[in-house]
Amino acid sequence: MELKTIELTKKFGSKIAVNHLNIALSNGVYGLLGANGAGKTTFMRMLCNIQTPTFGKIVLNGRNIDRLGERYCDLLGYLPQHFGYYPDFTALDLLLYVSALKGLSDKSAKKKSKELLEAVGLSAESKHKIKTFSGGMKQRLGIAQAMLNDPRILILDEPTAGLDPKERVRFRNLISAFAKDRIVILSTHIVSDVEFIAEEIIMMRSGEIVHFGKPQEITSEIDGQVWECIVPTACAEEYAATFNTSNLRNTDRGETILRIIADRSPMANAVRVQPNLEDLYLFYFKGDIEQ
Amino acid sequence: MKKLIQFELRKIFAKRLTQIAITALLLLSAFLGFSTYQNMYAFDGISEEGTGRKAVAIDKAIAEKYAGILTDEKVQQMMTDFKPTQDLHGMNAAYLYRNAMQSALFHNFSDLDGNWNGLSVSDVFGDEEIKIGYTYGWLQTSQNMIRIFLVLSLVVAIMIAPVFSGEYGGLDNIILTSKYGRTKCTAAKIIGSILAALIVAAVVSAINLAYAFILYGSSGLDCSILFAPEGFAERHIPFNITFATLLKYQILLAFTGAVSVTGITLVLSALCKNQMAALVASAAIYLCPIMLPVTETNPLFRIIALLPLYHAQFVSLMSVDKISGNMLYALLAVPVAFMIMGIGIVISRRAFAKHQVT
Repeated sequence: MELKTIELTKKFGSKIAVNHLNIALSNGVYGLLGANGAGKTTFMRMLCNIQTPTFGKIVLNGRNIDRLGERYCDLLGYLPQHFGYYPDFTALDLLLYVSALKGLSDKSAKKKSKELLEAVGLSAESKHKIKTFSGGMKQRLGIAQAMLNDPRILILDEPTAGLDPKERVRFRNLISAFAKDRIVILSTHIVSDVEFIAEEIIMMRSGEIVHFGKPQEITSEIDGQVWECIVPTACAEEYAATFNTSNLRNTDRGETILRIIADRSPMANAVRVQPNLEDLYLFYFKGDIEQ
Repeated sequence: MKKLIQFELRKIFAKRLTQIAITALLLLSAFLGFSTYQNMYAFDGISEEGTGRKAVAIDKAIAEKYAGILTDEKVQQMMTDFKPTQDLHGMNAAYLYRNAMQSALFHNFSDLDGNWNGLSVSDVFGDEEIKIGYTYGWLQTSQNMIRIFLVLSLVVAIMIAPVFSGEYGGLDNIILTSKYGRTKCTAAKIIGSILAALIVAAVVSAINLAYAFILYGSSGLDCSILFAPEGFAERHIPFNITFATLLKYQILLAFTGAVSVTGITLVLSALCKNQMAALVASAAIYLCPIMLPVTETNPLFRIIALLPLYHAQFVSLMSVDKISGNMLYALLAVPVAFMIMGIGIVISRRAFAKHQVT
């Protein structure tokens, strides 16, 4: 299965949200990284065929998804960034409703809904009204509904927003187990989420892909540019403001270990370390984040 | 599909605003029915006088004496029986309401002093055979139902306004990416909306008819509307139809009105991102014929009378014309309702399915 975008472009007035994007996705988990306004959500919406490209097209196995219609939707699972819900529905009601939308039979809808509620840790709350749910619970319910039809293409926009660390681990395991022979695309600000499960990383900036590759491949771009140095805790903030700092860690000896991204050694005691995705993210998006 | 329709019905009826609106409509029905009954007054001209249940009993007893086909003999008999006998502080006693039969009689056969105006039954009604009896209760019910059906149309707008616009809060993402989101789901929304409107119209009609049946019985349903007491708009319908026919038309027009409002509201619901905007726009479109400076004598009124507002306020539409034989012009409301609904279906389906999620 290959999902391909050809010169995919989306403009809102004079603003270009996605700019002539060409990418081919085959089975695997893709982590979509980018600062706010990078065009991730617009890109995902176009992949889901709920926003029409201004220019370009999306093809699945060589066929335009517009033409595929229901057949494409049948392969699709989507968790939007802002997930609406019916306050008076219970979690089970919502899953049964979405199952009906996805064309599942009554029997398989009930079975699948119960399985997924169990998988996302909501089986005890299956009969509770959604309006009583916390943000994290709603998010987990959203993840469950996206997986109801065993989608071959699963698109998750900020799936870990609102999840606590334990729930994030559960989510990562769920996706890892689910991802075999499927295309899974997930966007997030939490780099560690994709670092663990994504086989490929797509980095977007200003509507364009600035990097696309395996995590170890793309982090190699900043090989030799990540440093760790020990500074007195009293001066740590000053150093952090001066350098592009991806992490600060205080020790119990009144010192702070800074992780700095810089072309050259930022100070005498700096030690070169292996870059990770977070470093790369910061390397690319520092300006965007500060804005 | 059945499952999706069930979900849509549930979504419509689970909304707090819908529940409040339906409750208010039912309370209005109960209030109007009860207050009308309590406010009824009748005096037999001799000794019996009363309100409420007693008034109904007096009116029924009087009507029973003259029930049947209206003849010149009956007119003369009634003129004698209802002859004004008192002068109340200088007021013309002929125009003091005593009972329903007297009111109907004096309207057609009396001069200003309460004396026979010299007209025969055929002078007033031509060749029409006029059946008379106790009709006051059903007339009041019909009049109450005009108000109730006007409110019903607004309740339908309240119910249907969120059908599409309510999804634009985030669930449209999920619906439109689902296999049947653009097809069966949209169809289920439309079918659910029509069913919901028809269910509420049926329940409200049934409650009002049942209430009237309990209070007034079935007598008078076979009588002519032309011999209706003074003060009822229904008597301006220039056709010799029975009260049963009148009520059938009124109920039919309540349904066509509900269907038409559903069609209009579905379009606005699909086009507006906000359900309150959809509701206000729908109510404005429904009520706008009131603002049009077109009187019933204007030829344009024949067209305007087919708009949903006049389905609820059915007397004007009933008065327009006959199509042929016994078929009234009002029956054209049926194809009009289907047409509005058809337009509603096409536009709302397209607008929702093609809508760009933002």
